[in-house]
Amino acid sequence: MNKLYLWGIIMGAVMLVATYFTLVISAGNSGKSISEILSGDIVNALAITGAVALILITIFVVIKYVRQMQTDTANGQLAHENWDGIGEYLNELPMGWSIIFLLTMVWGMWYFIIGYPVNAFSNIGEYNEDVVVHNAKFNEEYKSITGSRLVDMGESVFLAECKVCHGLKADGIDGKAANLNARIEARSVKYVVENGSNNHLLGFESPMPDRNGLFNNNTEALITDAEIDAVSAYVANGMTGAGSDVFAGACAVCHAEDGKGMESVAPNIAAFTPTLVTNVLNHGKKGAIGTMPKFKRLNDKQKEAVGAYITSLSK
Amino acid sequence: MFHWLEKHPFFFAVAVFVMIAFAGLVEILPNFAQASRPLIGTAPYSTLELAGRHVYIKNSCNACHSQLIRPFKSETDRYGHYSRSGEYAYDRPFLWGSKRTGPDLMRVGNYRTTDWHENHMKAPSKIVLDSIMPAFTWMFTNLADINTAYAEQLTVAQFFTVPYNQPVPMKDGSTKVVKMGATLADANALALAEAKVVAADMKDQNVKDAIARGEIPEIVALIAYLNSLK
Repeated sequence: MNKLYLWGIIMGAVMLVATYFTLVISAGNSGKSISEILSGDIVNALAITGAVALILITIFVVIKYVRQMQTDTANGQLAHENWDGIGEYLNELPMGWSIIFLLTMVWGMWYFIIGYPVNAFSNIGEYNEDVVVHNAKFNEEYKSITGSRLVDMGESVFLAECKVCHGLKADGIDGKAANLNARIEARSVKYVVENGSNNHLLGFESPMPDRNGLFNNNTEALITDAEIDAVSAYVANGMTGAGSDVFAGACAVCHAEDGKGMESVAPNIAAFTPTLVTNVLNHGKKGAIGTMPKFKRLNDKQKEAVGAYITSLSK
Repeated sequence: MFHWLEKHPFFFAVAVFVMIAFAGLVEILPNFAQASRPLIGTAPYSTLELAGRHVYIKNSCNACHSQLIRPFKSETDRYGHYSRSGEYAYDRPFLWGSKRTGPDLMRVGNYRTTDWHENHMKAPSKIVLDSIMPAFTWMFTNLADINTAYAEQLTVAQFFTVPYNQPVPMKDGSTKVVKMGATLADANALALAEAKVVAADMKDQNVKDAIARGEIPEIVALIAYLNSLK
């Protein structure tokens, strides 16, 4: 017998034995017998059959080609060039290789156009998926929170977004922004009375006239400088002290006796409400202190939370 | 031909280079042309904004502040919509930056206003307690260089066909015309008119006095530029 065949048989036997032991070990791990493994799941039986077939075919093919290399001699017509004595035959490409080559080209086209690299991945696509997942999680966790949890959330949004102007304690950093620990400052009231206001505090355009449109019913005349100062102090003091008569005469028609405003007519100037804050976040604000930008990008729940937090500050 | 190339390695290398370079052009150029076109809503910089942009570059703001919002939820929550390439169409050069010591400023005009910038540029640590940003007090006295800004406008209008004095489409369907002066005096007058609007929201008396004299401090130009970043 040829030595090559002998090596083939030895190699095949070793690999079959190795396969068998692998089976035994995995059977031991799963606590089943080998026959149970093979009959229990057809995939296992197929895998074992495949492994045995692969071993036998590999050995057969290797032996065939090694024998061919031992006996074959090269023949055919040489190409014109040679490189340092190494030539190239002008033989035809074997049919099988040609077919595989063409199939590879077709597959390449498919891969390039439909398959992975061009369309399958997109940075923005990943971002969009992230946003959907995040929003779903946010809704699930926070959609129905109320009370102190809402205020806590409002505080955290405040610290992220509002702190840079209104300060850590919401005190407006020495008058550089509105002090949110009280509803309104005297200079702001004065500015609004003198210049009118159109800040969408109700969520829609609802302008308040300037001093030339503010009629004091008590004196039956336009509001005066002294009255403006008095009513500004009155409102800034939380609707107490002197100036209540001016307020009743000039302001209460729209803002109500207690300053709490009227539905669709005038905003609450006695206290913050979550709706009021939400409207300011949506539309921004321009007044005595300066201009506040819009914060529309906060989501509805976050706006509500900021409203709850700010409302809680002046309570 | 191929047999000839095989025997001449130098020319073979040249041919390979030409081939790959051509493939590169075919792949890159059409996409690049598409992506660098200005988006709807992206308008050229006005004279004053451009002068402010020069102040921004001169003081190396871009060393600490980026202008590029990446498409991550954490970034878009904080800074707004992620950046798109067409939004940089009129940025020469773009100011993406490579490091964020301070926050991104790509859309700072959306969430900060003139009076905030004024307070903040004077004394950053008084506004943001743990801020390490230095104060830029000289900007309140130094005057903005409107002439150079106008020169840049003329150049980009001529060589890169930046649409000054032409309607530019905006997001809400309207159009906006960014004016460029016909003469240097015109340009200065336009910039001053714009500066007056910005300075009206400011409180610094020196700045107001300078504007009244017809001078434009750097801070006014810079704030006009920052407000235009949306």
